[in-house]
Amino acid sequence: MEEMLAVFIASTLRLAMPLMLAASGELVSERAGVLNLSLEGMMLTAAFFGALGSWASGNPYLGVACAILASVMVSAVQAWLSVNLRANQLVVGIGFNILALGATTLLYRIIFGGLSREEIPGLPKLAVPGLSDLPFAGTAFFQQSVIVYVGLALIVLIWAMLNHTSFGLAVRAVGDEPRSADKAGIPVAATRWQAVLITGFMAGFAGAFISIADIHTFTENMTNGAGYLALAAVIFGGWNIGRTVAACLLFGAATALQFQLPAMGINVPTAFLLMLPYLLALLAVAGVVGRLEPPTSLTLPFQRGK
Amino acid sequence: MTALAFSLPDRRRLLGMAVPFVAVVGSMIVGLLLIAASGKDVPDAIEAFMDGAFGNAFAIGASINRAVALSLVGLGFILAFRANLTNVGGEGQIAVGGIAATALGLWPPIANLPLGLAVIVPLLGGTLAGAFWGGIAGVMKVRFGTNEVISTLLLGFVALLLVYWCVQSTALLRQPQTSSATLPESLSIADSVKLPSLTGNSESPLHIGLVICLLLAVITAIVLQRSTFGLRLRAIGLNELAARRAGMPGGILLVVALAMAGAFGGLAGAIMLQGEQYYLKTGFSSGYGFDGLVVGLLSRGSTVGVLVGALFFGFLRSGGISMEIMAGVPAALTLVIQGLIVIAVAGSVILVEKLQGGR
Repeated sequence: MEEMLAVFIASTLRLAMPLMLAASGELVSERAGVLNLSLEGMMLTAAFFGALGSWASGNPYLGVACAILASVMVSAVQAWLSVNLRANQLVVGIGFNILALGATTLLYRIIFGGLSREEIPGLPKLAVPGLSDLPFAGTAFFQQSVIVYVGLALIVLIWAMLNHTSFGLAVRAVGDEPRSADKAGIPVAATRWQAVLITGFMAGFAGAFISIADIHTFTENMTNGAGYLALAAVIFGGWNIGRTVAACLLFGAATALQFQLPAMGINVPTAFLLMLPYLLALLAVAGVVGRLEPPTSLTLPFQRGK
Repeated sequence: MTALAFSLPDRRRLLGMAVPFVAVVGSMIVGLLLIAASGKDVPDAIEAFMDGAFGNAFAIGASINRAVALSLVGLGFILAFRANLTNVGGEGQIAVGGIAATALGLWPPIANLPLGLAVIVPLLGGTLAGAFWGGIAGVMKVRFGTNEVISTLLLGFVALLLVYWCVQSTALLRQPQTSSATLPESLSIADSVKLPSLTGNSESPLHIGLVICLLLAVITAIVLQRSTFGLRLRAIGLNELAARRAGMPGGILLVVALAMAGAFGGLAGAIMLQGEQYYLKTGFSSGYGFDGLVVGLLSRGSTVGVLVGALFFGFLRSGGISMEIMAGVPAALTLVIQGLIVIAVAGSVILVEKLQGGR
């Protein structure tokens, strides 16, 4: 029983990881007032280019770099459209997701063709010396892919940045009161640009985690809604990083149950377990966790003098 | 002098129409470049595309049937969009419509109904199911202030998994498992439940869905332009607070708008099931909800625009599938083209406003 629980915690952490990475990145951007529905597309693009880079170079770390680069490029276009062209962020996001699904599927068929589902060089699991042999906690926490530890460090970094640096203060200012921020001399456009690029960076990490660290291959539409779950987690978390991470862990646990319950001999329809994260997310956005206050200027473009 | 005869409103309208047109042509050119870049023979691919889209009576009928489903989703989209609501849940609304139509169509008392009721009842059931699904998002919006983009999307995922559930479980809609090879699909609906053919020609799959769709398009146009309801939708879309102060039942209007969008999606699902697919399987909605959304966006709120856009995407999809089979060009290319179109149109809004001299 204890062993099972440890495995359950380990798989929860593994399944929640891409959500945590993507959601904490998206949180920065939303605090700055830009919503990236394209998060799903960024992750899928990253998963593909990560797999491609890792496969072509034989080096999974280069693959991670490719994933991040690709995702940051997508986020740059998103930033240009959202900040400079003041396009409808929701519509642009949907466009990006359709484009990413089409482009990655197309490139995958062209490049890999018959070699479908070929294994790519993946990242190793890192057993933390001294800790991985601990009873229970060893299995639960300390036998994960390297990227998990790096990712957790990045999330802590984002927390520190948002709450304890002047950049974090600027981000929140342009997300809530861009007009006042502008008058106070904070460059609204530049701050929002940086925030969206951070989202791209983290989404890249998340996509790389899925293809390179977890599945070790690319499959068509492999993110399969993870980006939308990450978006829901940000709402669930009330735009607060600790609660957002907790929401991701909850979604991860719900997903992990579909492997765990059958193993425990509990018979629940797979379809229901697959549905569970989305149902939880729906409850979350319905405000079951309390009335949530989004950043005041979320999705509102800023234009000086208007 | 004739050049100056263009009055300003005409120029604005032309510009407004030019943007989707330029976006479509530009994206198609990118598509051709991609085919060339992938080392496939471009004329071959174009020929396969034309063949699949317009090649014969079957191809044309199939393309128009696709356009019918896309139009319906698109019409629902512009209705809700008039109230400034973005319904992204077309895919899920199609799915629940398909489930309801299958469940009703497979029930013998309904399949044996006379006077065409065997066709109509499942169609209505699908419509109601879609309305319910869209209505949930409306209620969430009014009661909890949930952004409908997020809620309709999430409801979409739930609906897709509901289809999966229905066809996995024999207690629901899965066909009786006679052997281990029985596929996770529903039984096929009876002939009495299938939509009648429009041409009477067995060569063409064209069904009366087209008539239903055109009728609804006319009704939608009238409702949007000539009815109090349409005016109220617009008022609430422009300024919710002002509309409420003017005594309009804001909350109910928003719920109704999303329920109507959902109803169109549900009807599209029922028509897809009773018109062509005949049985329910996972992935039944196959992206039509998202395509319909694109159609609605491109139409800029015009009913005629929806029909034109739906025809374009209907033929694009048919051609894309044929291109994959005959010329080896992945059909995902059509997704690339669609994504580029959406981004280009959304990105050029400011540009167009500037060219039109502001509003």
